[in-house]
Amino acid sequence: MGTISIQIDGKVVQTQSGKNLLKVARENSIDIPGLCFHPRISPTGACRLCSVKINGQDSLTMACTVSVDEGMTVTAFDDELEQNRRQTLEYLVAEHNIEDDGTYHDELRDLIERYEIDVDQVHQTISLQENIVFKTDNSSPVLSYDASKCINCFRCVKGCCEIQGKEVLAMNERGLKAHIIAGFDQWDESECDGCGECIQICPTGAIVEKPHREDFLIDQVDQTVKTTCPYCGVGCQLELLVKDNTIVRSNGVEHVSPNYGRLCVKGRFGYEFVASPERLTHPLIKKNGVLEKASWDEALDLIALRFRAIRENYGSSALAGYSSAKCTNEDNYLFQKFIRTVFQTNNIDYCTRLCHASTVTAMIRAIGDGAGSNSIEDFETTDVLFIIGNNIIETHPVTATFVKRGKTRGNKIIVCDPKWTPMVKYADIWLQPKLGTDVALLNGMIHIIIQKGLNDETFIKNRVKDGLAAFKVLEEQTSKYTPEMVAEITGVPVDLLEAAATIYASAATAIIATGMGLSQQVTGTHNVFALINMMLITGQVGKERAGINPPRGQNNVQGATDVGASPVFYPGYIPVTDTANRQKVAKVWNIPVEELDDQPGLTTVELMKAAYDGKIKGIYVLGENPMITDPNLNHTEEAFKRMDFVVVQDIFFTETAAMADVVLPATSFAEKDGTFVNSDRRVLRVRKAVDPPGEAWNDWTVLCELANRMGRPFPEYKNSEAVFEEIRKVTPMLAGISYQRIEDQGIQWPCPDETHPGTGTLFTERFNTSDGKAVLHPVDYVPQGEKPSEEFPFILNSGRILYHYHSATMSKRNDSLNAYANRSYLLMHPRDAQKNKLADGDTVKVNSKGGTLVTWLKISDEVLPGELFMPWHYSHSQVNRLTRDELDPFSKIAPFKLTACRVEKTKGIQLDDLK
Amino acid sequence: MIKETRITLKNVRKINPEKIEEYIKAGGYLALQKALTQKPETIIDEMLQSSLRGRGGAGFSTGLKEKFTSDACKTCTDRFIVCNADEGEPGTFKDRIIMERDPHLLIEGIIIAGYSIGATRAYIYIRGEYYQSIKRVELAVKQAKKAGYIGQNILGSGYSLDVEIRLGAGSYLCGEELTLLESLEGKQGYPRVKPPFPAEKGLFGLPTLVNNVETLATIPAIVEKGAKWYLTLGSKDSPGTKIFTLSGDVEKPGYYEVEMGASLRALIYDLGGGIKDGGTFKAALLGGAAGTFVDQSVLDTPMSYDLLKEKGAVLGSGAIIVISESRSLPEMTRSILDFFKHESCGKCVPCRIGTAHLVQMFQELTTKTSETKPTLDDMINKAEYMSKTSLCPLGQSPILPLQSLKQYFSNQF
Repeated sequence: MGTISIQIDGKVVQTQSGKNLLKVARENSIDIPGLCFHPRISPTGACRLCSVKINGQDSLTMACTVSVDEGMTVTAFDDELEQNRRQTLEYLVAEHNIEDDGTYHDELRDLIERYEIDVDQVHQTISLQENIVFKTDNSSPVLSYDASKCINCFRCVKGCCEIQGKEVLAMNERGLKAHIIAGFDQWDESECDGCGECIQICPTGAIVEKPHREDFLIDQVDQTVKTTCPYCGVGCQLELLVKDNTIVRSNGVEHVSPNYGRLCVKGRFGYEFVASPERLTHPLIKKNGVLEKASWDEALDLIALRFRAIRENYGSSALAGYSSAKCTNEDNYLFQKFIRTVFQTNNIDYCTRLCHASTVTAMIRAIGDGAGSNSIEDFETTDVLFIIGNNIIETHPVTATFVKRGKTRGNKIIVCDPKWTPMVKYADIWLQPKLGTDVALLNGMIHIIIQKGLNDETFIKNRVKDGLAAFKVLEEQTSKYTPEMVAEITGVPVDLLEAAATIYASAATAIIATGMGLSQQVTGTHNVFALINMMLITGQVGKERAGINPPRGQNNVQGATDVGASPVFYPGYIPVTDTANRQKVAKVWNIPVEELDDQPGLTTVELMKAAYDGKIKGIYVLGENPMITDPNLNHTEEAFKRMDFVVVQDIFFTETAAMADVVLPATSFAEKDGTFVNSDRRVLRVRKAVDPPGEAWNDWTVLCELANRMGRPFPEYKNSEAVFEEIRKVTPMLAGISYQRIEDQGIQWPCPDETHPGTGTLFTERFNTSDGKAVLHPVDYVPQGEKPSEEFPFILNSGRILYHYHSATMSKRNDSLNAYANRSYLLMHPRDAQKNKLADGDTVKVNSKGGTLVTWLKISDEVLPGELFMPWHYSHSQVNRLTRDELDPFSKIAPFKLTACRVEKTKGIQLDDLK
Repeated sequence: MIKETRITLKNVRKINPEKIEEYIKAGGYLALQKALTQKPETIIDEMLQSSLRGRGGAGFSTGLKEKFTSDACKTCTDRFIVCNADEGEPGTFKDRIIMERDPHLLIEGIIIAGYSIGATRAYIYIRGEYYQSIKRVELAVKQAKKAGYIGQNILGSGYSLDVEIRLGAGSYLCGEELTLLESLEGKQGYPRVKPPFPAEKGLFGLPTLVNNVETLATIPAIVEKGAKWYLTLGSKDSPGTKIFTLSGDVEKPGYYEVEMGASLRALIYDLGGGIKDGGTFKAALLGGAAGTFVDQSVLDTPMSYDLLKEKGAVLGSGAIIVISESRSLPEMTRSILDFFKHESCGKCVPCRIGTAHLVQMFQELTTKTSETKPTLDDMINKAEYMSKTSLCPLGQSPILPLQSLKQYFSNQF
């Protein structure tokens, strides 16, 4: 695309060849009208308002459908063109209900004013409305459609199809009767999942959101704040509209990475929790077994006193902290600093231990970094996507839009999952292995790849430690995994194994997206080793659009570990045992290095075991809810009871807060400044939109106060930026990032200095290991210890759904999300249901060795016979009452995905009975 | 007295259309055999020299279209030929006759044209209501496959072509070539923005030749007998033959293939047997709804693309709807305007609302008595705006009948 010059109405414009003419004109303040054009969708040419004359062409041309060429001479405004535009607008007025309640921005209305269209006169001369029966559809929980305001511009249809890849919306009927339908007619019966792309892209308010619609006028909002979504790890950029200190609407920020305006249902409608009346507004102190309102002074003094006493009586190692993937980097950084300098221990961990610890462990050992190697945009442009144990459409909905868009460009998608996921609809191949057989499956694929000679010898020689010798070991070790044997173990047919292996290995570029399905097993680390082995021998890493990515479940899982919320790493993944680094950090923190613990601390589940055994006496829980998220909850509950002193700092009174001696009210993402790091290592700004409720405090402000009262004061941080400045000093990979640099768009680490643009793809030159080479780790398949038995004949799998998030503390406090999904369920294969004489909707009791719960049965062939699935978000049916705390020896992750169970019908109950 | 000159209709009612042997016996598939021994460029050259113009209605040079498609995207591994058999223009039924009575001629034309542009796959998009056409073409494709005219390595030439039949679902607009391609791709029948033209980016974004049934059915004869022979037929500006379909107030309605340049009078009186029940000629609607009305002053004008144009008329698809003195032109006009309103897909504003507005205006024009009622000129104004700003030929068409009414019959409104 070379620079060219064109002329529009005599004005010479420099631009790039091939750019869209309407875009070019508007960028140069030549405001050609147009309603159907939107920069994020393909040109439609439906409204005909942007017609222009181009020299050398007989007929009028729509500017939105033209690519500019050198020397193009364009007339954008003359009497004839303007007369046509006026006529078109009159026609739209004739067809429409142009009443507008002021709750949305109406682009048609803007044009009516600009062209001074006499609405009454138009209605007198052209009477079309009376001939049309306008359809309305209010059936969706989150939006409503009114055809009388719809100009059939196709923006919503294209938004749904081209941007989100969902293909729910279409035009129905033709001519004047044409209108939008969802699915086959009714919105609530369609596959619409409520992402609201159509709302954001609609120019006339024909599709509008229901929540808070009546609460404000669009031109009277108090402020609009750009920030980062608090749900999953995509890091979508949100624009929050605020009225009377309440968030009243959320839109995606247009044209900014990583989401480019797209959102999912949680990002758009999941903000209500911020204004929930259930928010914690005052500190609470347990007195005589009851938590009572207290002042901050009282609470902080008590905490300082009790933690100090534990440290003095039992030593630093009797204290621990649970950090939070929901908090900002600044919060997490100061929390780990607090644990390391005030508690003086490395006993700090958080929920990453329970999601991707095995992935990160394997990745760090094999390739030197635990973070995703690619940019989210690469999910669209790579040739092959291998999605394993990752329900990407439900857990990372916006990343999934990139995958789906790639599909329309002809990319191949392989899904590997024991349970059906929505991505299967888009997949070329679906491998459905039995639960817990991943190593066999992946070794089998490696075997096929080697047999077919599809391994990349040059890559192995140049980039893998010990080159071909290491490869030989792997070859020998996987040689027994013949397709037939693997088919026997996994249940995946030989032809599918061969097709998947061939497509992956022979692709020009392939990206792996791995998830909890692979990581949350006793063999989690080995699973990921096998996966990385396959990637390394095929050379599907170390180049653009190739690599391995574990999309992060929570908004700031990536950032929390990046800034050191880890028992083994200081900020920047530098081991706690690294003396030189401790010396460097001690200097920044202005403390003697001897005060810093040089031994790794305890991990999440180990902490609970130690507490159970009486070794941990006090814990500070920051924005985590282990009473839902930990495995073997009955054990966790007992561990909490046995501790001397428990502090929980959160925004809601969680299941864990109920176990606390002191509860501190904190601020939500919308009430604080700071940064999050998303799944593709992008450091993104979080900005304050509303004031916190009651007396809730910023997390890091609480930490500073407590550090003071415990006699180890932090320097005075003026604001979150000051904290970030300190983070940069101790975290080499973030050293080049400043608030100023990420004002508009995030930057991907590593970014070692201020001139560095950030890094989109990792490992293009070298791996982050000591010698720069990747390491193969041949692993063998070991059958799972947890097996179905006569007593527990089923294997239960657990996972997430689109509408809820983590322990649901935030998501369940949104009417919109609850309207879609508010009740737990258990998926069972029809054959098993028949055998056990169970019917859809039955109330069932599920028992495991660890515990029991009650839920409702859904019969579905999404699972294999003998296997079950449950979403784990719901506090009324806590899946982790059933799971085990047997750990993966390398990463200490727990096997949430594999629990032997028994299911029996029980007395029918309603949801309210469980609450 | 003129006589028919049958090229595309040569086998009609002479052979059994369900028997490939009869087609072959009548000289069928010889042109294909000849074509496959020639270079593709040679065939395109022959088409260019023959001056054959598209018989669907737009009259674009067939040879040029082939050349553009053949030259487009040399790196593309696939290119397509699409036969537009979605015959929907009111008063037009020529393609139906070819498909029902001589389907192999169409198939032979498709294979030759496909070979000339290097098509890897052919689609025949047939109007869904054409039950008999669908049945006959399906059978013919089956037979041609079995006989080795379709499929891998046709007649040992190394050229391979698959032919697939797809059905329309009742939309007039899907006969418009770009809308047809959308429909073929499995999408809703909405017109595409042009350019790019199908030759460059057609079906699934690949180079595509879209031709009408009659056009394709003409190709075997030109290949067999040469462009020179073809040029001896018809008139200078419009060589060859054309099928005209006579309907309305005429004694012998039907299909007639004549040399281009025959007069309307000859068609109606010599071949059609004159006005029905001894009535008087009042008007003819040429080219269907998207066509033009003419009066008796055009009766002796040779029917050719350019000469009709001089008279403000179009040849179009070859439809001739004859209107006797007993008919009301306003009634016919109303029905045409209703037709456009009914068939407008609604994608672009000028057509969606304009076609409805024209109906409203015409209602007022014919019923209102006040001075504020719209005039034919007012309607032509709107139709002109529509023709300039509409996305596809549908919205661009109402101007044609309206303008011709003003030219020839302004006294009737």
